[in-house]
Parts: sequence; C-alpha cells; structure tokens
Amino acid sequence: MRRARTPLLGVAGAVAAVVLWALAARTWGSTALAGPGETLTAMTGLLRHGDFWSAIGTTLLMAGRGLLGAALLGSVAGMLVGSSTLLSNAVLVPLEFLKPIPPIVLLPIAILVLGPTQVMGEALVFYGCLLPILYTTANGVRETDPVAVQTARSFGLGRWQVLLRVTLPSTSASIGTAVRIAVPHAFAIAVLAGYLGGSPGLGREIADSVVSADTARLFGVVVVLALLGLLVHEVSHLAERRVLHWHPTYRVRAA
Amino acid sequence: MTATATATATRRPAPALSPATRWLARVLVPAALVVAWWFGSAGSTSPYYPPLAEIVTRFRELWLFEQVRSDVVPTLVVLFSGLLIGVALGVVGGLGLARMPTVRATVMPLITFYRALPGIALIPVLVQLFGYGDGVRVGMVVLVALPPTLIATMDGVLGLDATLSDVVRAYGLPRSERLLGVYLPVAGPQVFAGVQVSMQFAFIAAIAVEMVGSTRGIGYQTLLAQQTFASADMWAGVLLLGVVGFGSSAVVRLVRNRLLRWYDGAQAVSRAA
Repeated sequence: MRRARTPLLGVAGAVAAVVLWALAARTWGSTALAGPGETLTAMTGLLRHGDFWSAIGTTLLMAGRGLLGAALLGSVAGMLVGSSTLLSNAVLVPLEFLKPIPPIVLLPIAILVLGPTQVMGEALVFYGCLLPILYTTANGVRETDPVAVQTARSFGLGRWQVLLRVTLPSTSASIGTAVRIAVPHAFAIAVLAGYLGGSPGLGREIADSVVSADTARLFGVVVVLALLGLLVHEVSHLAERRVLHWHPTYRVRAA
Repeated sequence: MTATATATATRRPAPALSPATRWLARVLVPAALVVAWWFGSAGSTSPYYPPLAEIVTRFRELWLFEQVRSDVVPTLVVLFSGLLIGVALGVVGGLGLARMPTVRATVMPLITFYRALPGIALIPVLVQLFGYGDGVRVGMVVLVALPPTLIATMDGVLGLDATLSDVVRAYGLPRSERLLGVYLPVAGPQVFAGVQVSMQFAFIAAIAVEMVGSTRGIGYQTLLAQQTFASADMWAGVLLLGVVGFGSSAVVRLVRNRLLRWYDGAQAVSRAA
C-alpha cells in the first residue's frame, strides 16, 4: 500500500514546488524571479537554437576530456603508488596537501596561463578529478586479495604481470566507482570554468544571461543544467554497471 | 627468477621499508619540490610564473597581516557560519526525513533534482533575488553545504539496525532522547562523512561568491590580482587559498575525531580482536 503511494507523493511534491515557485514569482516580480511558465518558454526557445546545443556539447566535452585524462593518469599513477611503499610515502605529503584544495583555487592561475578557453576548463576538470581517482585506485590496489597475488607469483608471474593480470582486474571496480563518482564533479567544474573563467559552454551562457539581465533565460539555463546533471548521473551509473558487470562486487548484487 | 625475487621484496611492504627510509621519503620529496620551484623560478621574467622568492615576499606583505582583517576574516566568517548553519539544518532535516516516510517520499524527487544542479549555478539566481550582501554569501554557502550532510544523516539513520530501534522502543525513551541520544550518535560516522563533503562544497561556494560579486575576501583579491596581471600577488593569493582550504578541512577532521573517539576506539578494539 505504502509502496504504491510513493511515486504519487513524489509527483504531489513536485507539483506543490512548481505552484510555490509560481506564487513566489508573482509576488517577487518577474524581473528578479522568472515563473515556471516563462522559464519553460525561455528553455524551449534556447533548445530550438543550435548554438545552445553546441554549448551543451562543449560543456560535456570539456567535462569528458578532462575526466578521461584524469582517469587514465589517475588509475596508472594510483596503481604505481598503491603497489610501492616507497612511492606512496614519497607522494604522501604533496598529495595530502593538494587533496582538500578544489580546482576553484587554481582558477586564477588557469585563466592567466590558458585564458578563457576550452583547454582551461579541461585542465581544471582534470585537476579536480585526478586526486580522488588516484587515491581510490591506490586503496583498491592495497585491498587486492593477497592469496591471489601469491598464487600468481607461485605460477611464476613477474611483478608487472601480477600487476596487469591480478591487481588491475581486482582494482578495476575501485577505478570504476571513482570515475563514476567523479562524473558529476567533472560536469560541475566544467560549468564553473565557464561561469567564473569564461570558458565556452553552459557556464558562459549563465554569465551572458546575467550580463544581459535576461532572467527567464538564466532560469532556463539553470533548469537545463539540473536536467543534464540528472542525465549524466544516470548514464554514469548505467555505464559503470555495464563495464564492470563481471566483477564480483557487481555479480553479487545480480544474484 | 631474480625478477620474481625482487618483485617479492617490493610487493611485501612492511619489512621492505624501514621507518627511517619512510620518513626520509616523506620529508625529502616535498622539500625537493619546494627547492626545485625556488631555484627553477629564480631568474624568471615570465609574466605567468614569477620567482617563488617574489611570491613569498608578496605573501608576507599582503597577508601577514595587512589584509587579514579586511579580507581573510570576512572569508572565514562567511565560510564557517554558512557551514555551521548548513550542517545544523542538514542534521535536523536528515533526522526528520529518516523518521517521516511520507514527507520523505514527497520531497525526495525535489532533493534529487536540486542535487543534480551544479551548486555554482545557484549564485546568479540568489544574487538576482537578494543582491550581493553578506547574508547572500552566507546563504549561498548554506544552500551548497546542506545536501551532503542531509543525505548522509538520512541514510545513516535509515541504515540503523532494526534491533536497535526495537530496544529503544522497549525502553520507552522519549522521542527527543531517541533521536539525539541514540540515532544521531550511532549514525555519527556517516553524518561526518557527509559533513566533510559539505566542508569542501562550502569552501568552493565561499570563494566562488567572492569571485562573482564582492569587493573583499581572499577570492576577490586573488581574482582581482589576476585581472590586473599582478601575477606574484595572484600566486600569493592562491597559496593562501590553498592554506585556508587545507586548514579548514583539517579543522573538520579534528572535530570529527574528537566527537567520534568512542567509535574509532571501538573499531580499533574489534579489529584487534
């Protein structure tokens, strides 16, 4: 009974929120707060333009390329750091210092050196996603079943072969999860780079709407951002399950 | 065969590395990096990468302690007041949502939608509505810091052992004691995992609002230095932002370790057993 009512309650909540939004827009005045109707009109208007779609594409591309770079370097470096105590001690202090420092801190440097470009956004995404992926990979390597490693070694596999054939497959679930968690961050950083740093894409759309005082357009972009965020989130979950369906942690769930 | 032997030696971590080597590696590498930066940038005339010596000098002139009162304190006040309010609301809201399934089912889709939005996009909306005051800056930090703690608290309480709630009910504890005396502490580790994420988000939001529309704060000064091509000043600002980011997340970790000492202790005991 309760189960069946849950989606209905969710719909009721959404409807109530839209009604509240409309009321707030009426009392506030539409120059500061665009109502749901105006926002929808502005949104469909934007979506009818090719420019807006290319802004969406640019943002996703910035996020994707930065994340891809971070995933490649982060997983390789994480494998090395995780399998060597000397290396993990050597990088401990620099990494621990950089870990709590978000990409926005480096934004001024990035703008100065790279300018308001797509590369700048990609560099920020890369920096923001690199360390979490590196850390999670290194921890995954340390959690590799020692029995499996010993077995491989007693079969005569060398260091690199053990790393490639035992440690890497076992760690791949950690890498997959780390990349999936990084996806929304990559998206947010790509937007930030546009909004504060002038990189092309949806972030710059926000900045442009603010400059031209086009409230409805601003709200339209914000709603599109939330919808894209949801989409990106769902796709990343789906992709993770697709790619790693063979790994024990995923097999258990299916059984 | 020798390859396998050396592989075994490096793969077995504990005996392979003496404590002395370990500490040497931890200290030498960062020291070498700083030295390399210092001498590598020494004669630099590049407008992007000024000599580290110049950055340090500007750091001392600007931030020790000339602009502490005018810029550092405002940033910290906005950051921590926003974080505290956001975390408090998140804990209360998370407890409430966990205990009220009807409310939870009603608002969860909205919360999911809200969380999918990059927090930064809220800044222009908030500024449109309320202008650029200090209250808006704190409000922005609150809005961004709230969801991670809220969700972590809710999940933590929902994931509690069914036996525990039976026991609590059997003892007839009053509602407030049940929530604050039992549920919240048991969910504590998860709550703090959320608070740590809230801290990171709060830090980003606090700097971002300064960069968008403010006339003071570390973020504002740093971006201004970039726009006026005062690159040593900018690097000094980035260094300070890094220190603030590192320091504030260390503060949250300290608070967590203090409050959850009982939990870490119990974990250590059960692991040793």
